[in-house]
Amino acid sequence: MAEVQFSVLEKDILQELMNIGFGQAAADLAQVIDLSIELSVPDIQLFKACDLREHIATEVDSDQEFSLVEQYFLGKFKGIALLVFPAKAGKQLVSLFGLQDQRSSPSYHLELLEKEAMIEIGNILIGACVGKITELLNDVVIYSPPRAMIQDLRNSALPKNLFAPSSMAISMKTVFHFEQQEISGQLFLIANQESIVWLKSALHAFMEQYE
Amino acid sequence: MIFNQISDMINMGLVVLDKDLKVHFWNRWMALHSGIDPEKIVGQSLFDFFPNLNEPKFLRNCRSVFAFGNFAFFSQKLHRFLFPFRPAYSDKARFDYMQQSCTMGPIRAEDKTVRYLFLSVNDVTEVVNYEEQLIEMNRKDALTGIFNRRFFAQKLQEEFIRSRRHNRPLSLIMIDIDHFKQVNDNHGHQVGDEALKAFSAKVLARLRKTDLLARYGGEEFACLLPETSGSSALILAEDLRRIVAEENWVCRDVSLQMTISIGIAEGRAEMADSEALLKKADDALYEAKTGRNRAILYD
Repeated sequence: MAEVQFSVLEKDILQELMNIGFGQAAADLAQVIDLSIELSVPDIQLFKACDLREHIATEVDSDQEFSLVEQYFLGKFKGIALLVFPAKAGKQLVSLFGLQDQRSSPSYHLELLEKEAMIEIGNILIGACVGKITELLNDVVIYSPPRAMIQDLRNSALPKNLFAPSSMAISMKTVFHFEQQEISGQLFLIANQESIVWLKSALHAFMEQYE
Repeated sequence: MIFNQISDMINMGLVVLDKDLKVHFWNRWMALHSGIDPEKIVGQSLFDFFPNLNEPKFLRNCRSVFAFGNFAFFSQKLHRFLFPFRPAYSDKARFDYMQQSCTMGPIRAEDKTVRYLFLSVNDVTEVVNYEEQLIEMNRKDALTGIFNRRFFAQKLQEEFIRSRRHNRPLSLIMIDIDHFKQVNDNHGHQVGDEALKAFSAKVLARLRKTDLLARYGGEEFACLLPETSGSSALILAEDLRRIVAEENWVCRDVSLQMTISIGIAEGRAEMADSEALLKKADDALYEAKTGRNRAILYD
């Protein structure tokens, strides 16, 4: 497969677009979940798909236990979103979402509640970020149900039908931070080679509005 | 016309809500399972009919659909159901309510702003029924009905980690029925099988709900005792030993005497993992078996 390149200009535009998108996402998130959240300036990198897991594993502090939520998105922009939390954040998220009140319901115990809290915040956060970017680029995506895992980064493989090992992938990383609760984590949006090609043309179309 | 028919024929609930969470559309499937006709519910607040949905999580997800065009997933595992309907087809009494897997997502206007949200409702009761049966079969020993070795190994590991994390005691006892081979040889396997069943039931009756009894091998059993010190486990083991020895076992009209040997070990800080605990209990059992009808605590 031919390598796809991203020019410095294109990267700058994407970064700017993500800044706008994440700014709006953070503002809307505050409305939706009643919590203020800070999203850092995104870091954009292109990789060979086969190197991605390794890349993420090195970006995540491996001394710490962490939990992971993964969710696929499918549109012209397609790929996988990975949300990485420190393992201890699960408990904080449970109280943040007021889920502890449900403990009396059948089949609820704390580990399940932690998983549920992570899945819910993951779904909302991923949806907000992916939704805003694709909205600005005039695309609409659908999502798979999110899955929560614990420390499974290195072992789980990216699906080959979406990410051929020799193809390129683009990773957009942001650090998020719930201000009142001191919970931080990382969000990776990873799109496949097809999406990169689309992304390039969508970015140029986006710029044309301002030219 | 085609889409109207599809939405009425499809084997799935479809609901459309507006921004005020009033029902905009209610398909035939929803009408049939709820007993509420579209004419009655369209234009009304969903919560007037389903007050159970008026809770933070549902509202939060509705907001996120309208704010970001997001999707939300209400899995059966976490939620069981959104709409309290009776099971439609299942004649098994496992569930009082239809088990549902639901998805929520946006419906957009021409200008791509989110105008409505849809809810799709899938009946997964039968699937969950099978799933739970499979899980059960996977955990239980077919003959005795107590847990099997695989499930025991998993729980041992979990309980070991839990006891370590919370600094709580955990004990393990391994039980072997003395000279059980002779029961099989003298009376046949059917009597042997009956004896194993009766034995399991007897031991189970003496345990707490939180203890976990498993068939570990042919006539070998393991029992995990959370929140129990080695000395308490020894008291229990002595009790079990006495109960078994004093019982007059009658299996398929054959009268039997049984005794057991028991090895006990308590989780210790220096143990590297749950395997180490198992090894100690096994060592104690080995020692107990040299004399038979004994319980020995590893120390």
